[in-house]
Amino acid sequence: MNKEHVIHGIVASVGTAIGKAVRTFDPLFVSFNIKLRPDQVRKEVERFRESVEKSREQLRRMQTELKRKSSAESSFLIDAHLLVLQDRLFVNRIIEKVETEYINSEWAIQQVSDDLFQAYDRLSDEYLRERRGDLDDIVRRLLHNLQSKPLPSFKKLPYDAILVGKLVPPSTLFELRTQRIVGLATETGSPLSHTAIMARSLEIPAVVGAAELSEVASGDLLIVDGERGVVIRSPSEETLAAYKNRDRDGKKTRKKAGASVSAPSVTEDSVRISLGANINFSEEVRSAIVHGCESIGLYRTEFDFFREGKQPDEESLVADYSLVLKAAKGAPVTFRTIDVGIDQKSWDGVNMNLGVRGLRFCLENQEIFKKQLRSIYRASVNGPTRILLPFVSSVDDLDAAHAILDEVRRELNSRRQTYDANVPVGVMIETPAAAQTCDLMASRVDFFCLGTNDLIQYYLVIDRSDQSVAHLYNPFHPAILRCLHQVYTLLRPTGKPITVCGEMAADPPSAAVLLGLGFTSLSVSLAAYPRIKRMIRSVSMAQLKDLASQILKMTKPKEVEEKVRATVYRT
Amino acid sequence: MTQKEVVIGHRLGIHARAAARLVQLSSQYQSTIVLFRSDAEKALEADARSILSILLLSAGFGTTVGVRADGVDENQAVDTICEYLTG
Repeated sequence: MNKEHVIHGIVASVGTAIGKAVRTFDPLFVSFNIKLRPDQVRKEVERFRESVEKSREQLRRMQTELKRKSSAESSFLIDAHLLVLQDRLFVNRIIEKVETEYINSEWAIQQVSDDLFQAYDRLSDEYLRERRGDLDDIVRRLLHNLQSKPLPSFKKLPYDAILVGKLVPPSTLFELRTQRIVGLATETGSPLSHTAIMARSLEIPAVVGAAELSEVASGDLLIVDGERGVVIRSPSEETLAAYKNRDRDGKKTRKKAGASVSAPSVTEDSVRISLGANINFSEEVRSAIVHGCESIGLYRTEFDFFREGKQPDEESLVADYSLVLKAAKGAPVTFRTIDVGIDQKSWDGVNMNLGVRGLRFCLENQEIFKKQLRSIYRASVNGPTRILLPFVSSVDDLDAAHAILDEVRRELNSRRQTYDANVPVGVMIETPAAAQTCDLMASRVDFFCLGTNDLIQYYLVIDRSDQSVAHLYNPFHPAILRCLHQVYTLLRPTGKPITVCGEMAADPPSAAVLLGLGFTSLSVSLAAYPRIKRMIRSVSMAQLKDLASQILKMTKPKEVEEKVRATVYRT
Repeated sequence: MTQKEVVIGHRLGIHARAAARLVQLSSQYQSTIVLFRSDAEKALEADARSILSILLLSAGFGTTVGVRADGVDENQAVDTICEYLTG
């Protein structure tokens, strides 16, 4: 058995999946190049047209199905594919080559697409370069249909599979959706790729851009952690147990959770806990509401903001945010303004965790910030909206942000635009400075959110993307418990609501600690939603309060963790 | 022949979704419609009915693009396309 190996990538679709790797190889095309006799040309063109027609038919079927599943977001991908199949630059050029050079269709397709691939590779725009994948997808389809063999499909797999490849085309993922594909992991790609969009629509956990996956072979046991953005190869018994325990079998619980959508998040001793959903992409709102989430507690807007191209305009942002609010069907949505430089991946590849990020970025790039704020305000007529400012580290920052908020509202007034002027404004507590001074900020805000991921990193001086210290990251560290206790004590007299939205809220034992410390509002990713609801319904608040006062006196993280686990998993 | 220049005000620039819509719009007219960029080092032209060539124009938000149409409905075609591109 191989040793456990953690492979780092980027989250493309939330959720956790455990299964055996199935590698998708680039299909082997027998690239036979033939010179035709002039009298064979007409038949060859015919053969090519048939392949185009067949491909079009397949795509239309996919589209009908996508629309039926109301995954309208991804049906536009198919539109683009269909348009390529009627593109003169592509189709006519291929036919022309066959006719004038007397070569077979495969050869002509290869020549024409090679030219186009080169042209795409020269583009400097990352988003457009990604579109090379779409063309690649179509070329494969055409070549397959020419060979009149069925598209490569897996026989019904006898086990849960994780699709692994350099790049898995969106259509492949879609066509395999009825197979036991529980997760996706790719060596290249970004959360902006169409495959990632498709994975989110199909609710398949996915991690992309994990280069080291090249070492994974079919049959390897994998865990795709679409919450932390890692793939674990050959996990140890211990790791596996931890994941299984956490999710007890992700797929089934997801279905079961659907059935218990209506079950309220109330503890055994009838304490009501507010449980919201964290989302990264607008597509996730629909599934959040379907799964019974009562609010979108954290919408990390930077992913959609920088999704296609660098500079979204106000009108499209208003349209996007309005759609989000409408999809939420009356559930409040907390828009966290763009936090550039979040997590290990920053936009220019520099670790900016101690630099210009969050509100600091917004204050330095006021035009972007104002545009986003105007858009959120203008969309606010469509449903309850909240604005959350990330990475605030002083009252000065907060005052500066307020000055901009005032200016934005004045501008909207002078433009006679309708909006909800009472949109609550909140602050993310994720820096030690904010944790120490949250009470000083209280009179200036309507609510608080506690971002534990960053808070823990800054408190314990651990960069989680650094393998050599990652294991020291521990929410049960007495420093963290004291900090949380302090925040709660400082904020309690102010009466301002506070929601915890970091990963600490997404793992049942640490979430239970939060409840015990007095935090009764949590927001977690969709993947974690069912397990946290289950935990809430199985614990007693009185007992957790007792637990909290006990662990606050303990000296070592390990000690705390054991005590907590014993209490939460007592049954 | 009718010709006009516009600044791309579409949030995405001419990207997949916008390009697909552009092809659909252009296909409603009989005139030949060409998009071009004169700001690039090498003059670039794209057939407005070809999604691949439109994408290769790589015209992001804020780029200036020319729209040229030739045919019976050229005026209308240029107006509609420009209006769409302005966002």
